[in-house]
Amino acid sequence: MTAFDIAQIVAFTLCAFIAVAGALGMATTMSMFRSGIFLMASFLGVAGLFILLAADLMGLLQIMMYIGGMLVMILFMVLFMHDPGGAMMAAMPGMMAPVERFFSGGLQQGEGRNGDHADMHAGNGEAKEADRENRQNGANGEHHAQHDGMQHGGSDMSMNMEGTHMDDMDMSMVTPVRRIAAWLAVAIGVGLGALVLLRPSWPTVTRHPDPRSAEAVGMLLMGKYMIAFEGAGFLILLGIVGAVLMARVERHPDNGGRDARVGRTDAPPQIAPDPVIPPSPDERPNEEHASEHHAVAHPPSHRRPA
Amino acid sequence: MTIPLGAYLLVGATLFAIGVYTIVAQRSAVMVLMGIEVVLNATGLNLIAFWRFVRPDDYSAQIFLILIVTIGAVEMAVGLGIMMLLYRQRRTVQVDSYTALRG
Repeated sequence: MTAFDIAQIVAFTLCAFIAVAGALGMATTMSMFRSGIFLMASFLGVAGLFILLAADLMGLLQIMMYIGGMLVMILFMVLFMHDPGGAMMAAMPGMMAPVERFFSGGLQQGEGRNGDHADMHAGNGEAKEADRENRQNGANGEHHAQHDGMQHGGSDMSMNMEGTHMDDMDMSMVTPVRRIAAWLAVAIGVGLGALVLLRPSWPTVTRHPDPRSAEAVGMLLMGKYMIAFEGAGFLILLGIVGAVLMARVERHPDNGGRDARVGRTDAPPQIAPDPVIPPSPDERPNEEHASEHHAVAHPPSHRRPA
Repeated sequence: MTIPLGAYLLVGATLFAIGVYTIVAQRSAVMVLMGIEVVLNATGLNLIAFWRFVRPDDYSAQIFLILIVTIGAVEMAVGLGIMMLLYRQRRTVQVDSYTALRG
């Protein structure tokens, strides 16, 4: 085993660990902002794996597209979220599974509820024991820790639910089905891993790819796959126009002509009481009658209250 | 070639499982989108690993990965646009609070 092989193994282990641990932290931390940063670590690990696989162009594309583009969008949207720092959940560590507690350690805590504290401490002792057991699991322990933790977190949650309102569920970042989701994820992971390990006889070849792969990719992109390339460009154009059209501001108070014709959900404007004729209780409000008097009294901008 | 193909496929399988867990278990739409991104990453990793170990002289896999990344970016932009719209209407983007179509 040469030094090159050792370096390759070290690089693979490092990149795979960063990718998997980043994804796990993204899935389990309570702070949404921290999820974004963990996701960036996962992207970086996968980019390192791409470079290790001699697809350096794809590694650079991964970094530029995912981290430079999508992660900026994600972190922008996180700012709109309810409780992006996870402060409310950080105040209730009893509701978290051990993996979640590990990845959300040191979060700034919000206001805890007094009624939950007794349950919380009771749950903490059990959770520590479960954590200790999980550490002994050894290889492939991360998955089991996650799964055991989900089970445990679920029981804690049901315990807390008995004494408090439904509001506690709304604080949580995860749905009540997270135990089932953890089982499902473990089943999928184990199934795929078993498929990989039980049938390892792929027809692999030993020759190395051309190190100047970027040139070949560019030639393919402009030659054989030109229609797909142009189609992707057209799709991006459609996506940009669609996203802007959907998310644009609906009302422009200074210029009613720019108001969007899509996504209008407000009720039709109220017909104001007639200032000239006082409304009598037996008279049914007649729209035609009212608008006739109001065409002069109210300019059109008043019909659409901001 | 010291690292076998199976190692990369195992990493891809683990990433896929974590992404599926995130998509199912998280209630905020941003987190669901993050899970979708992780699943797309796992797909790309498998694709590039198979390219490297099975057909290293045919670069179609890299073209395919470019298309996957493109579609992922468009999906993210449109998804975030939809979330902006939903947030403006109801002040929440938690996916389990939109149950108007439940039978």
